[in-house]
Amino acid sequence: MPQLPGSSLAVKRISASPDPAPSIRTAGPEFAKLIDISRCIGCKGCEVACKEWNELKVEPTRNFGSFQSHQDLSADTWLLMRFTEIEVDGDLQWLIKKDACMHCEEPGCLYACPAPGAIVQYENGIVDFNPDKCIGCQLCISGCPFDVPRFSAETHKVYKCNMCVDRVEVGLEPACVKTCPTNAITWGTKDDMVALAEQKVDRLKDRGFEHATLYDPSGVGGTHMMYVVPHGDRLVDYDLPEDPTAAPGALAALAGLKQLGMGVMGLGLLGTALHYLKYGPEVADEEASDPASPEPGSGPDAENT
Amino acid sequence: MSRLERFTYFERVVHWTLGLSFLYLLMTGLAFSHPRLFWITVLSGGGQTARFLHPWIGMLFSVSLGSMFFIWAKDMRLESNDRQWLMAVRAYATRQKDGVPPAGKYNAGQKLFFWAMTVLGVVHLASGIPLWMPAGVLGIGPFYGGTVNTMRLLHYATTLGGGGLLIVHVYLGTVAYPGTLGAMLHGRVSRGWARLHHPRWEKEQAGD
Repeated sequence: MPQLPGSSLAVKRISASPDPAPSIRTAGPEFAKLIDISRCIGCKGCEVACKEWNELKVEPTRNFGSFQSHQDLSADTWLLMRFTEIEVDGDLQWLIKKDACMHCEEPGCLYACPAPGAIVQYENGIVDFNPDKCIGCQLCISGCPFDVPRFSAETHKVYKCNMCVDRVEVGLEPACVKTCPTNAITWGTKDDMVALAEQKVDRLKDRGFEHATLYDPSGVGGTHMMYVVPHGDRLVDYDLPEDPTAAPGALAALAGLKQLGMGVMGLGLLGTALHYLKYGPEVADEEASDPASPEPGSGPDAENT
Repeated sequence: MSRLERFTYFERVVHWTLGLSFLYLLMTGLAFSHPRLFWITVLSGGGQTARFLHPWIGMLFSVSLGSMFFIWAKDMRLESNDRQWLMAVRAYATRQKDGVPPAGKYNAGQKLFFWAMTVLGVVHLASGIPLWMPAGVLGIGPFYGGTVNTMRLLHYATTLGGGGLLIVHVYLGTVAYPGTLGAMLHGRVSRGWARLHHPRWEKEQAGD
């Protein structure tokens, strides 16, 4: 593969930060990983490379009647090849999904996160978790339209694929890309990968996969992990959401409500302060019982009638 | 000068458990909601500790709220007199007591505060559980994005209501009406205080 430029970790977005992003660097290239599912042979070398590079604990597993290594992603398993067997036009089809973080351009996890700096997005498109700042609230899990982040009951923090940010930073491709023996996974600038994907889709269509498509969902502003999907009409069977979004409506409503809440409470404090300045304390008169206020005496009687 | 007992020891303990837990929840909740207030979590041992404690203190809050409900619900029933009191709330707030019907043990404002806090508290608890354990609890869940977002909205809306009411409650209970805080601290109020704020209740006490 051609030599890639190193990618500075200039920060584009920071979770729970009211301040503008700190980067003053001119935007470098955005990178993307392209998965050509039609070329995957199911070797799971990428899973091993992911564990190895990121020094993640090996999780014992068992045969549960699938070619799949583990049943689900976990805090220690950031990449899982999912194998779904379905019937298409009377033929068995093996649908493969490389389940890992999609590195959305509009990251729902980052928008949902209340801990300043726990999630950052770099200019190169990588969305990275910083466990040091994570408070373990798991709102990122709810914010993710792809159900990717996983909570660790051990550390009470959330983890996911970081696109081997420590490799990308110095001009290397992610570990899964490097190890893939069939070039089912390719790495490059987002523009190059989209162009390559379009060629791949055209070739698949020539081979009879008339629904072949590029999966780069616009609801999340596009992703930095994209798929070439042979059966583009069966996205649901691949476990790929048809129209994922970062729930902008709900988040905007929440942001509006928060402004309103602070306004109401601020006005409440101001209002009580002004009320006190105008009316002061209402001190009870301990001496006079009758002459000061005849109402308390006559009140109940008046009401009983 | 004789003093009247307004709140029992048990009532005071329950009230302050509720009040202090409310304050903790409000402060940490605001910290989670507003990045500029995130520093408040430092006062609670850091973000992760605050996130861990918030729901447990919420449990304490819920139990005290439930206890308070059973202690006071009977006294808080709205009567026809309360309607007139509410009509005259403007006169009450501007200290023109002539137009305000005399209150019993609790005036209509206090009663509405009680019912509003109860309803808000229940919604707050219900919306908080999916946020606490998004993976599910007791066979309910897991709770996904849409549900969690709705619950966040509800959780914040009830905070807004409860926080606003709390400000008024604290103001009236402390500096605005001297002698009121004592009722909740040591339980007793003076005759004059009772005559001024709760004349019908004062009469009932005098009859004893």
